[in-house]
Amino acid sequence: MMKMLLRGAAFAALLAGAGDLKAQTLKMWGPEQITEPLIAELWKGIKADFEAANPGVKVEFIPPTGTISNGAVQAALQSDAGPDVVLTNSGIGRVTVVKNAKLVAPLTAQYENRGWKAKIYPWLYTELNGQFGGEIYEVPDGLDALGVWYHKDMFAQKGWAIPKTWQDFVTLMKKIDAAGVQPLAIGPRTTGSAGHLFGNLLQSASGTGAVGKAVGGKLSWTDPTMVTGAVRLRELVDTGLIKKEMAGLDLEGASRLWFTKRAAMFVAGPWFTANARKAGYDLANAGYAPMPSDLAGESKPTGGVGWSWLLPANSKQPELALKWIDFMLSDAVMKKRAQHAASTMIYPRELPGIEPPTPVLKDIFAAAAQGVGYNPSVYLPGSVLDTYFQVIQGLISAQITGEQGMAEIQAKMAAAQ
Amino acid sequence: MNMAKTESMVGAGRGNAARPLAGRSREDILVGADGAGSALFLMAPALAVYAVFTLFPIAVTFWLSFTDSNGFNTDAGFVGLENYRKAAADPILWQSLWQTLLWLVYHVVLAGGLGLGLALAIARLRRSQVFFRTAFFLPHLVSLAVVGVIWANIYDPFFGLLNTSLAAIGLGGWTQGWLSDPSLVLFSVNVASSWQGFGLYMLLFIAGLQDIDPSLYDAAEVDGASAFQKLVYVTLPGLREVMTFVMSLAMINGLKGFATVFVMTNGGPFYQSELITTYIYRLAFQSQDHGLAAVLCILLSVLAITITVVFNKWRARLRR
Repeated sequence: MMKMLLRGAAFAALLAGAGDLKAQTLKMWGPEQITEPLIAELWKGIKADFEAANPGVKVEFIPPTGTISNGAVQAALQSDAGPDVVLTNSGIGRVTVVKNAKLVAPLTAQYENRGWKAKIYPWLYTELNGQFGGEIYEVPDGLDALGVWYHKDMFAQKGWAIPKTWQDFVTLMKKIDAAGVQPLAIGPRTTGSAGHLFGNLLQSASGTGAVGKAVGGKLSWTDPTMVTGAVRLRELVDTGLIKKEMAGLDLEGASRLWFTKRAAMFVAGPWFTANARKAGYDLANAGYAPMPSDLAGESKPTGGVGWSWLLPANSKQPELALKWIDFMLSDAVMKKRAQHAASTMIYPRELPGIEPPTPVLKDIFAAAAQGVGYNPSVYLPGSVLDTYFQVIQGLISAQITGEQGMAEIQAKMAAAQ
Repeated sequence: MNMAKTESMVGAGRGNAARPLAGRSREDILVGADGAGSALFLMAPALAVYAVFTLFPIAVTFWLSFTDSNGFNTDAGFVGLENYRKAAADPILWQSLWQTLLWLVYHVVLAGGLGLGLALAIARLRRSQVFFRTAFFLPHLVSLAVVGVIWANIYDPFFGLLNTSLAAIGLGGWTQGWLSDPSLVLFSVNVASSWQGFGLYMLLFIAGLQDIDPSLYDAAEVDGASAFQKLVYVTLPGLREVMTFVMSLAMINGLKGFATVFVMTNGGPFYQSELITTYIYRLAFQSQDHGLAAVLCILLSVLAITITVVFNKWRARLRR
């Protein structure tokens, strides 16, 4: 009997030993659009490089079922069987949600210890450092720059051009409408898409300074400076330049309108190149310009941190996750990504000598080089975001006025503060 | 109870294997001290599962409703009735409650009505009934999330099957923003949900129709009853039991409505299709306000219990 027990114990010890030798698996939430062959090819390459550099380590991608905005990331993290490292849409508004829920670990010390501070733009580090009293919970992977996409051939053929002022922009929209084309497509059922257009309108009407103060709670959303953007959106709906029916569209439906040229313009960021490629749209035909503004120097893209790495508080492989982030911030990986045809974003630090792989990305980078305004979807507190998106839907479906919408947002802001 | 008789029954039935029970009555075995122990022992697995997966979550939900839990903080503070006060003052909650009741009515009428109508239409078919039964039941096998995606595309205002078909047959004036019009959106989403659900109700109605004594139709025929009179005086009364069952099932399913709304509109535009269930999800997993979400869970449970009790009382009165 004793012999049997000893044999059993020895076998168990052997199994435990074998377990130690077993490959460590790093489960990564992301990347988005991994089902697109070009993106899959890029990420499979990155995964292979990491695994080669870290023998015994296996990286497993968890295709995202959503973002922080729709609760998918939170649900995955709360399951306690979720990812070890997360790549998702970020920005202070979204990160606040998971930070307050203690779902993510602080990474402040790693910025110094692992040299991450030197691997992102200094202004970006300053911004991150100022968000949670000096504590940082994200590592930026890419920046967004949202502006107006248009069809070069359609505009050339009709003699249209993106103008400089808001009034001229409305005139252009009227001309497009008269030509039997939807002037502007929007899919507010996808919350992000709703925010892209509205953020652009706020930027155009109020300017970076005012929007920055409003998202930070230092300026009331009911202030006349801020209300103008919402009033303009409602006016575009009331005049039929944005169809009420758009309120029933999601990003995919609205993109379809644009890709099939039934809509002339669309507000999106560099990531839209992936959607375009997937839809078979000729990217050489895509033009990009910031939303026109009557305010001097305020016609610029909106954006901010678009995607970030987060370390779940319940990560089973925290060390490996940090190693992965190191790897992603390395020159080799960042340059590889920036030059790859699947590249869809602005990187968090300057990459000298790197040419964007598509012409429209060059336009976006050039526009962003002049500075980027605030996209409130990224900066608003989590508890306000939902109201913000619902208000945009309310404006597009003509249920509320601009003033009412901004009052709703302000009420939530006051409660959040 | 005749103990000798019981003993002989137990003994005779089980032979030697029943020896340990010999001399003990059925009551002794089932409710006596030993019997209770055995009964508890046998029920323990089921009780444990029930306690872990039903009673414990109910208790936790109840506790959460008095805390400021964000779902992850183990140090959630006790806030008394604050969440209940917040809930009472929340206009979206009341709007979603009203819309949930509307949703329930739509579901009972659309899914239940369609199920009944199709059951009546195909019940008398001999050869093709199996085909139609299968065809109509198929949507029930599709997940609600997939149904949501399919119908969102059908409702697409610019490319959707519905609007393009209407335009193609010269009814362009009837095209609508099915998911954007505040007065239509809840109904439109409910159509999708009911389309998925009617197949089950149809099968139940067919089973009910098969239970009606055919001689009643013969008698009605002899009396010169029209098809409509047979429906009103024979078929519908014969389906009363099934109907009440289908209604209660449809009401429960209606209250659970979530997936189609979540996929098709996420409660919008501007909360016009928000249900209590989608609002609970929004609060718990988007705003991380688990305390308030727990209050809504309790409210939903109270609503479900109230509707069930009232409906059962009404059903009992009908039977009398």
